[in-house]
Amino acid sequence: MKHKIASIYIGDTVFLIPGITAFLIIIIIPFITNIGISFTKWGGVLPPVWIGLSNYQRLLGDSVFWLSFKNNVILLLAMTVIPTIVGLLLATFLFDYVTNNFGQGVSSFFRAGFYLPQILPSAVIGIVWAWILQPDWGVVNFVFRGIGLSSLAHNWLGDPSTALFAVMVVMVWFQIGYPVVIFMAALQRIDPELLEAASIDGASWLQKFFYITLHLIRPEILVVVLTTTIYTLKIFGQVYVLTRGGPGNATSVPSYYAYKNFFETQQVGYGSTVSLAIAVIIILLTVLFINIQTRQENAESV
Amino acid sequence: MSKMFRLFSLVLIAVMLIGLGACQSAPTPTQAPAAPQPSATTAPAAVQPAATATTAPAQPAAATATTAPTQPAAATATTASQARVLNLWYYEPPDGALGKAWAAAQTQFLATHPGVTIHFELHTFEQIQQTSQMVLNSSSAPDLIEINKGAGNAGTFAVDGLLTDMTAEATKRGWDKILSPSIQTTCRYDPKTGIMGSGNLYGVTDYGEFVMLYFNQDMFTKYGIKVPTTVDELYAAADAFLAKSITPFATGGAEYPAQQIFYMLALSKADRTFVTNYQLLKGIDFHGPEFTYGATEMATWVQKGYVSKNAVSMKAQDMQNDFEAGKNPMLMGGSWLFGGFQTAKLPFKWDMELWPGNKISLGSGGNLWAIPAGSKNKDLAYDFIDITLSKDKQTLMGNSGGLPINADTTKITDPQTQKLNQLFAQLVATDGIGFYPDWPVAGYYQDLVSATQELMNGTKTPSAFLDEIAAPYNAAIKK
Amino acid sequence: MVAKKYHYTNQVVKWITLVALAVFLLILLMPFIMVTINSVKTEAEFARYGPLSLPQGIDLTSLIDFWDRVNFTKTLFNSTFISTSVAILAVILSLLNAFALGLGKVRGRTWLLVFFLMANFLPQEALAYPLYYFAKFLHIYDTLFAVILVLTVIQSSFGTYLLSSVFSSFPREILEAATIDGCNKLNLLTRIVAPLSIPTLSVLFVFFFIWTWNEFFLPLILLPSNANQTVPLALAINQGQYGMNITAQSASGLLGILPCIIFFLIFQRALTKGITAGGIK
Repeated sequence: MKHKIASIYIGDTVFLIPGITAFLIIIIIPFITNIGISFTKWGGVLPPVWIGLSNYQRLLGDSVFWLSFKNNVILLLAMTVIPTIVGLLLATFLFDYVTNNFGQGVSSFFRAGFYLPQILPSAVIGIVWAWILQPDWGVVNFVFRGIGLSSLAHNWLGDPSTALFAVMVVMVWFQIGYPVVIFMAALQRIDPELLEAASIDGASWLQKFFYITLHLIRPEILVVVLTTTIYTLKIFGQVYVLTRGGPGNATSVPSYYAYKNFFETQQVGYGSTVSLAIAVIIILLTVLFINIQTRQENAESV
Repeated sequence: MSKMFRLFSLVLIAVMLIGLGACQSAPTPTQAPAAPQPSATTAPAAVQPAATATTAPAQPAAATATTAPTQPAAATATTASQARVLNLWYYEPPDGALGKAWAAAQTQFLATHPGVTIHFELHTFEQIQQTSQMVLNSSSAPDLIEINKGAGNAGTFAVDGLLTDMTAEATKRGWDKILSPSIQTTCRYDPKTGIMGSGNLYGVTDYGEFVMLYFNQDMFTKYGIKVPTTVDELYAAADAFLAKSITPFATGGAEYPAQQIFYMLALSKADRTFVTNYQLLKGIDFHGPEFTYGATEMATWVQKGYVSKNAVSMKAQDMQNDFEAGKNPMLMGGSWLFGGFQTAKLPFKWDMELWPGNKISLGSGGNLWAIPAGSKNKDLAYDFIDITLSKDKQTLMGNSGGLPINADTTKITDPQTQKLNQLFAQLVATDGIGFYPDWPVAGYYQDLVSATQELMNGTKTPSAFLDEIAAPYNAAIKK
Repeated sequence: MVAKKYHYTNQVVKWITLVALAVFLLILLMPFIMVTINSVKTEAEFARYGPLSLPQGIDLTSLIDFWDRVNFTKTLFNSTFISTSVAILAVILSLLNAFALGLGKVRGRTWLLVFFLMANFLPQEALAYPLYYFAKFLHIYDTLFAVILVLTVIQSSFGTYLLSSVFSSFPREILEAATIDGCNKLNLLTRIVAPLSIPTLSVLFVFFFIWTWNEFFLPLILLPSNANQTVPLALAINQGQYGMNITAQSASGLLGILPCIIFFLIFQRALTKGITAGGIK
């Protein structure tokens, strides 16, 4: 018996061969190259020039970079915390209440609707939201003025005190569908008999939610938090289209700053350094998450 | 359900396989590059005779005076025998003056080069801006491409060795006589430093551009305000409009227009030496009289309300829309807007003048035709440039609302277009070409946009603004 | 009597929540509505009435104009081909990886997971230059294949992670039972694990397709020729320097969104069916 079980597991490494090869070529080697480039000064065509740790010294003292980093952390609120919490609530609401009262079709309809913003290419997001937030005839200000709250009408994307907030609103709008879909699929996995048994034992909705549901879909929650965090730390497209990191550097993010260095000022070496900084932060976070996840899985399988 | 899924996947796999086949034949018209720099000048020499022979009939006498009309039949035989393709990329929209002139140039090229086809691709400014360096350095590079002028673009490519040195060819074909010295400034780059203004000819432009005052004549008439020709009159007009609760000037802080206001104001206090020092990265005092005036005056404009504070986040298109909708009576705009205004058939009378009070205004030669170093069809590319520089194509450009540099001005029919050309000629003649504020340094454009937004928002004082824009400039000098 | 009243207020509450949800959804979808109504307006209409007014008729000039200008047929083909290929290949790759990592006892499992997640660590700008030189070296620069290859790897990173996380709660008894019955690893994968994972695989497929469709940066770098452009790149053309009119921009936006919506609606049903067919029972 023991021998048989062992043979289930031995040789699985074979299945990893295509994945590992592809990743080595497409990701790992460029990553290592990137590290190498960060120690050089390079314009992209002529041979790079070795300058040691100069780029890193520059990074530590670069106020624009640290400002962009701060903006990124603030964006985490809009792109990870709020979407996860709201997404979880929405998913549960749709899965329980709406499905039970209105049927699967209706809840699927809403799920599809919430997910739609994720389908938009960033170019379209930029165009449309720039309209909506237009200070003179955009919808938002139009509505505010219409209901007599003119003082609330701002120059959303042009005023540095509101620009980041406006970007955050756009990102919540964009991000919310993703957790909803993942969590609804996760809720699917929960054995309804467990919940029925708890109800019979007298558990309230809230108790069921916290002690059973949340616990059982923990893997998905971790996945959502991790992936949205990583996405936030790499955010580029929407910021590029909405504000180009402006006004001033009010909405600049590290990824955009790296892009500027790569493709606008042709400082490939420094751009690589910035990218590497982002990557290191992401790696640390991911290792942390995976360790938490693995520990939980081990605890469960015991 | 799994049946449907399986069926769908089968269909998709089939599409994939078919597509993979199509995929192989997709791209790369030109083969492997790697023609080292020196050969650039020697290779064309061999095919020279063939090229001139085929273009000779098309050119009016004046242009071909310097190109020896020689070796007919024997030479044409070689070009006709191979099916050659000229790969041409540019990003001027087809309904604009340049687009129309260049489309006509393509037609003429095909007529005079039997057996040669043109593979033409219309790109965008941003595409070229972001990826041109990578494309030029690959076998996907075209034979002739429109690139942006300035040290950050053409200059960088020159230093990287990605462009063909056209100096000799230009002399041979008489281009150096067509392009005036101030126009040639944007065509020449130092191959070691990339600085604009001297060195080899890496680009050829066939049009010009400048920034001027556009105004809504009807609005001036309606309120009984005099159209300004001097600085005092300009401010008087602005104040008069303000009194009527009309924002005098349209602009856009999210793109180039706002920084151009700053630069234009600065230029009103500048002389040729200042411009040269600034543009050629020789170093200037950012807190000197010129830029200080520009910054403080612009801040004053915003304070007084000459430009709307909301304009901070507006793009150039928004600025145009506002002017066309009659929201603002005046606009500091480029000659590139002229064609669009004409096509839009605006419901009011409008006109333009050189910016009052400035001896030097923003302006320059246009974007450049450049030939990637690895091109195997340089002769064809040279021919095409010839055609775009020819008198009748230039006149066509003029008549379409463009700003040619070699047109027959007597043949330009529309009086407003004639005026546009006259204004430009005047600017060139008085050595009033001031170029653009973002040229000296690679990536400077975005820094200027950010900084100007902060100046307009009031989050930076004029002095702080000047410090901010001085930083990248001075850093570039150190390199 | 009391029971009836309770039932009535319960009904009211139900419908109120439904309406509230619908309003919320409508606000969320406002951008889509804006894009649609503005694509079928004429330029003059937009200039006079602004973006919020309803169109006075359906004017297809902007749409047709954009379609011709960028040869949208070819663009659609490119995008569809790339997105489909990547979705399929990435699902397969994720399945293979997750099978080994989630169900197997591979040494250094955590580190391998991290290894695969590396694809997500670097912002894409950092990969641009190395991949560019690599593609040139292999003569696949400016081909769809290069983009497919790179995006497959990047997308399968997420897929590997999600699947292996889901597999960790896969009922082992089924695997053991099958092995006892003489099933080898390959059959385990194809006959048991894969079919039972179809809900998750479907979700992955949809995600991969959409994410790949909306990819902007890597195609911009690797596909300079117009003939190879994808839909988001073609949209960028309309945002170009000389500023297209807004109706043209909306038209391009609409044409950019429609294929994805259609695809999503098609697969919505498959998703639902797969998910309700019961996860891993």
